[in-house]
Amino acid sequence: MTGQMKNEYEELVREPRKVRWVWLVYLLLYAIAIPWYWPAGYRGPLVAGFPLWVVVTLSAVLLLACWTAWVIAHYWRDQGGEE
Amino acid sequence: MGASSDQLVFGTGALVLVGLYLLSMLGIGWIGRLKRKSNTLADFYLAGRSMGFLVLFLTLYATQYSGNTLFGYTGKTYRIGFEWTVSVLFMFSIIAGYMLFAPRLVLLARKMDFITPGDYISHRFKSPLLTLLSTILMIYALGNYTLAQLKAMGAAVEGITDGMVPSEYGIVGLAIIMVVYETLGGMRSVAWTDVIQGLVLLTGFLLLLFTIPAMGGGLTAVVEKVGQLEPPKVEVPSLEGCNTWISYVFLLGCGAAIYPQAIQRLYASRSLRVLKRSLALMAFMPLTTTLIALVCGMVAIVVLPGLERGETDQVLARLCALVMSQSTLGYWLVVVVFAAILAALMSTADSALLSISSMITRDIYQAHIRPRSNQSELTLVGKMCSWVIIALLVLIAIGTEKTLIRLLELKFELLIQIVPCFFLGLYWRRLSARTVLGGMVAGLVVALGLTWAGHPRVWGFHAGVIGLALNLIWCAAGTLIAPREADPAARQG
Repeated sequence: MTGQMKNEYEELVREPRKVRWVWLVYLLLYAIAIPWYWPAGYRGPLVAGFPLWVVVTLSAVLLLACWTAWVIAHYWRDQGGEE
Repeated sequence: MGASSDQLVFGTGALVLVGLYLLSMLGIGWIGRLKRKSNTLADFYLAGRSMGFLVLFLTLYATQYSGNTLFGYTGKTYRIGFEWTVSVLFMFSIIAGYMLFAPRLVLLARKMDFITPGDYISHRFKSPLLTLLSTILMIYALGNYTLAQLKAMGAAVEGITDGMVPSEYGIVGLAIIMVVYETLGGMRSVAWTDVIQGLVLLTGFLLLLFTIPAMGGGLTAVVEKVGQLEPPKVEVPSLEGCNTWISYVFLLGCGAAIYPQAIQRLYASRSLRVLKRSLALMAFMPLTTTLIALVCGMVAIVVLPGLERGETDQVLARLCALVMSQSTLGYWLVVVVFAAILAALMSTADSALLSISSMITRDIYQAHIRPRSNQSELTLVGKMCSWVIIALLVLIAIGTEKTLIRLLELKFELLIQIVPCFFLGLYWRRLSARTVLGGMVAGLVVALGLTWAGHPRVWGFHAGVIGLALNLIWCAAGTLIAPREADPAARQG
């Protein structure tokens, strides 16, 4: 199994899980998306109808989505090409 | 039109249109059957592993966003306000969850011709007991999921016909349509109907975005009013609330990522390029779907004040009824939105049903009852399974009281205990079947024990997530103390 497991994935040239800084960026964006750092009871000004803290969370989700699309494109590759 | 301001009732024209829409599903099912390439499980359950980008993306979308996204999420926002912005984050987290295991699983699935998630567990751990327990947990979770969709279908049909078609008839009628097109063409039919359903769902959400906020004078006016009437609903969540956000990210990011019907869609893509493009686009979909449900829920706080808890899951239907009563254009817009609601319910239920049928056929019938059965026999058994399962679920949906349904709501709490099989099993070669089984049992005991003891959340964390933490610690400890040179999988065999 030890050798077998290694061989089973040898065609995988790149995978996101193995790139540590990819997950550091995820951690940072999740830390922004979860609104733990605002003062208790904070609401803030409305931006496009949403309270500021909601806008910050939604912006972080948008960045997370962009980041994921980029990670998929650059860090998920196998030897056999993609067809 | 026949609609009063608080009831969602359709006239004859709209009912005919909805009926035609449902019949078109049967037509697509028939085309799926004509396109069948072979009488094998791979063809029936994975569409011959031939899904292109548009089909894969829309079937992932229509399957992931269920009736709960429309009804449950608007109701939840009505109750807790902007704190439910977490729904946008946790629906995204499902895609982030795939980044942790999908590359290896997809590669292995293509090499080993996996049909079900159980195929992977069996291949990796060589433990019939572990595969069986995991399969039972997955079937339970999906059965529960399908049941919820069936109940919602019944309520929707009863609502639009003003009680002329009782909920029971609605459930039976829609279930028959689903199981017929599913039996005709398997995954091919389900995925193609998902294309139509996904497009209708997207259109429905866009229409909601353009019609609902205007009812409260625009989102800014709505939020300012909610801020005056119920300030906590626009304020930032407490620290315990933030714990719940983290908990949801784990619960959905791990639990929904290993939903069997989602994993089977990863197996069914025509190529890696198609899969990668579909998943990349899916990462953005919470912003076009869940976020709109959140906005509708906020508008409902102002437009439909004072609803009791049991009524809050009906806020979307009531908002639609109001739009409908205001103009002819509004009426027809709501007809499309209603089609989107049916699409969300049916696309999720049919995918879950197909997945249950595949697991019973492959991981129980073939693995434990008739290992030498041929492909055509297995396909036939699979089709028969779909009919038996849907009959059972319809009976339960019609015959059970709400209290029992609440017990069945334990879904992710149990499903999430399979996570180490995928998230760790694909990477930790010394992780043995015995360790995974021990962790799974420990996680289940904690999740069920806390829930039944009346503590579904502790410091904001879901019981299932606490169970998963223990499960992961168990797996890590078991792997660390395993001998380095050992071959755990071979030993299990």
